[in-house]
Amino acid sequence: MPAAEDLNARFKNLKTLPHVAVRVTQLVNSETGTMQDFEELIKLDPVLVTRLLRLVNSPYYGLTHKVESISKAVVYVGMKNLRNLVTVEALRVMFAGGKKEGFSRKKLWLHSATVAMLSEMIARRIFGMESEDYFLAGIMHDIGLIVEDQVHGEKLLEACSLYLSGERQLVTCEQETIGTDHCQVGAVLLREWMLSDEILEAIRSHHDRKQEFSVTSIASVLQIADFLASKLNHAAIPGRIDSLPKHLAGHVRDMLANYKIIIRDLPLEMAKATNLYEADDPA
Amino acid sequence: MNKSDSDDVFTELTQGSEELQEFLDRMREQFPAALFQLRAGNGRLLPPEFNLLQDAAGRAVPLLISPEEGIVRINDAGGNLHAVAVPQLSAILLIKLPDSSGIGFDNPALSGFISCCIDLALLKHEQRILKLENQQIQRQIKVLNQQHYKLIEDNYRQYRQLQDREKEYAQKLEKEIARQTSELRNANVRLEESSRLKNEFLANISHELRTPLNAIIGFSELLAETGLHGEQAEYNETILAAGSSLLALINDILDLSKIEAGRIDLEKEPFTVAEVVSRVTTLFGVPAREEGVVFAAIIDEQLPVQLLGDANRLQQILINLVGNATKFTSDGTVELRVDLAGEQDSEVLVRFTVKDTGIGIPVERQKAIFEKFIQADGSTTRKYGGTGLGLAICKQLVSLMRGEIRLDSIPGKGSTFAFTVPLFATPAAAMAGRHDVPLQQQGAHRTRQKATVLLVEDNQVNQRLASIMLRQQDCEVLVAADGIKALEILKRQSCDLILMDIQMPRLDGLAATRKIRELESSPAKEQYAGLRMKTAPIPIIGLTAHARKEDEQASREAGMNDFLSKPISRDKLGMTLGKHLAKLSILPWKEKDVRHLTPDRLKTN
Repeated sequence: MPAAEDLNARFKNLKTLPHVAVRVTQLVNSETGTMQDFEELIKLDPVLVTRLLRLVNSPYYGLTHKVESISKAVVYVGMKNLRNLVTVEALRVMFAGGKKEGFSRKKLWLHSATVAMLSEMIARRIFGMESEDYFLAGIMHDIGLIVEDQVHGEKLLEACSLYLSGERQLVTCEQETIGTDHCQVGAVLLREWMLSDEILEAIRSHHDRKQEFSVTSIASVLQIADFLASKLNHAAIPGRIDSLPKHLAGHVRDMLANYKIIIRDLPLEMAKATNLYEADDPA
Repeated sequence: MNKSDSDDVFTELTQGSEELQEFLDRMREQFPAALFQLRAGNGRLLPPEFNLLQDAAGRAVPLLISPEEGIVRINDAGGNLHAVAVPQLSAILLIKLPDSSGIGFDNPALSGFISCCIDLALLKHEQRILKLENQQIQRQIKVLNQQHYKLIEDNYRQYRQLQDREKEYAQKLEKEIARQTSELRNANVRLEESSRLKNEFLANISHELRTPLNAIIGFSELLAETGLHGEQAEYNETILAAGSSLLALINDILDLSKIEAGRIDLEKEPFTVAEVVSRVTTLFGVPAREEGVVFAAIIDEQLPVQLLGDANRLQQILINLVGNATKFTSDGTVELRVDLAGEQDSEVLVRFTVKDTGIGIPVERQKAIFEKFIQADGSTTRKYGGTGLGLAICKQLVSLMRGEIRLDSIPGKGSTFAFTVPLFATPAAAMAGRHDVPLQQQGAHRTRQKATVLLVEDNQVNQRLASIMLRQQDCEVLVAADGIKALEILKRQSCDLILMDIQMPRLDGLAATRKIRELESSPAKEQYAGLRMKTAPIPIIGLTAHARKEDEQASREAGMNDFLSKPISRDKLGMTLGKHLAKLSILPWKEKDVRHLTPDRLKTN
């Protein structure tokens, strides 16, 4: 995907990758990292330290003790959770700004947060699986759109209007105007971010209607969550909702009552995680 | 989010009628005899196959009902159709009783039964949701448990990892410390070696300096006796004085470097304190008086007469201290006092005190005064001269003797240097062998006879100097440039004494001496005119620039009778010659005025 590579290269001329977030991700993958390494790394960014501690102490984690250091945070919520928080912080910066007719980064950010939350809930509540990687995939899945917006804002708008006025998939419209699509662009960017292969695969395929992933895979959960978020008025590009692939639709139908419970509880969970996805507070 | 919203989410996937269907199923279960149909909020009918609100002719039956009303009878053709609102499902339930039953909902029992059935069906639905919710919660708990264990495991892993790192770090640290320690040790060894080499160099260069200096002093002494006129005598006096102070300096440096290199061995010979004190008095008494200084020496009567120790070194210390005292006292008194400070077993503690009324030493300089190259203040050197080594040597020598030196001084009032050394007291008999001096003096009255001395020396300047000195002592001089030449001379000529340099090319002094001693006790002696007639071994006196104990030892082992260190002082030469020639009843030297000995010359051996 040379077009995607090219786009990323041009993106990186404009914006640097969030160094701390990338290093933290590497550290989690390395399996030899310790809380000390975490602390050393995050200490480089004092603002981040403050924000992370606030997030760790937010109702989302419901800890009974107040956590006052990064290494304690590692002990209480684990490295993967902390990595997710660092990522959220990094993305919040990347998603900031850029108010335009037809494409809103702010809406995309809300969409991403909703998808992340839903992915996490589905993984945990329906499949009984650990959910950190699902959350991460959710929060990052549309990062390709940010890259496209940064480098080819006008072409992206064109693709969006093509998508809204026609019957075609968004990725098809992007291919037409930009020459690549946000799934590929995102996958290329995140490869450099050292995300695991499964997450990369999920992000690369989140608009893929042909491949059948296992229901419990990150790819499938991401598609379901993407679909549900759009239904709940948090679509990436508001105005049209793509349907679910058949086998996933069948699965949801089978587990309908379960999904209904998730939809019912989502607002509550989102409220607990307000600190995570809401824009910077005055402080 | 309300119910209808959540339904909206899934409408695309389902008909949105699962709940209604379930409700209908439950109603049928409870009341199989009746026919049920649900009319949803959007007007859709379930099941859709028929329509209870149509009469047989297909005409619509009007349905007017409010949720509060409960079960109402619908005015239909059969007369058995009833309806009830189910707000929980946003639907209306239509119930058609069998026509034959003859009962109606005006019967309160039936009405109650139906509403119970509705409640039960709704509850069952709710129960199912609750069950699912419970399952979800169970799954979440399971996940949290898993995560909890993983966290614990991961924390333990981190703990171990940190421990490993710490261990590794500690090992690295230890290794580094070991490496640095060994590096330091090596550096130390190198430093020690370089310091030793420096000391050695210093010692060697001092010796090398002494040889030419010997010539300068010796020849200017000789020059003084050639009848110089006023100005010449004055210049010569200056050369002599400058040479002497240079020699003193070199001797100081040499002494100090020897002490520091641990190359000084103290002698342990019997001596009397009076002897030592009188020599110091002789040195300083007259010059002090000339300067207007009263010099007094007092010896404690309690002190044992004879002691065992190194008289020369004691004398050196005293000369230094008294020399300083007189130097820094322009008028007033210098007092040397020796007394008994204590006794322990066979040892006595002797205290030597040198007290002056001179310029004194500032308090802040008192501590440093025993350090090398330190004087009371920088201007002292300019005003009074001196090397600043004297006191350092004194301190080193005193501590070598296991003693202590102390200073009390009041600037402007004077200084008191006091040192104590432990010495062994000896019985008087041990002194018997030390009566060389009176012997010499006795000899002075004997008849004279010219002695012949064979001088073996390779250095030409020294050859000349020694020859002149020997001639002045009324000796005949034969000269040989090395040991082989000396043996050749001995073949032809006789001599009374041999003055033998130790370091020479071809055959050195030690080897030559051994050869002579060997010849003396062998038949080959007959081939040597110089040895043939001798009944006693010929006295051989060694000459060396290295005033070291081991040299003296080596020369005695080679068969030498005595030992002189260069530069040769005339007095010392005279005394030594006298000692050995007196034994042969040959007394060659001229009785001359005993010139006062300068400290340097006394120190030389």
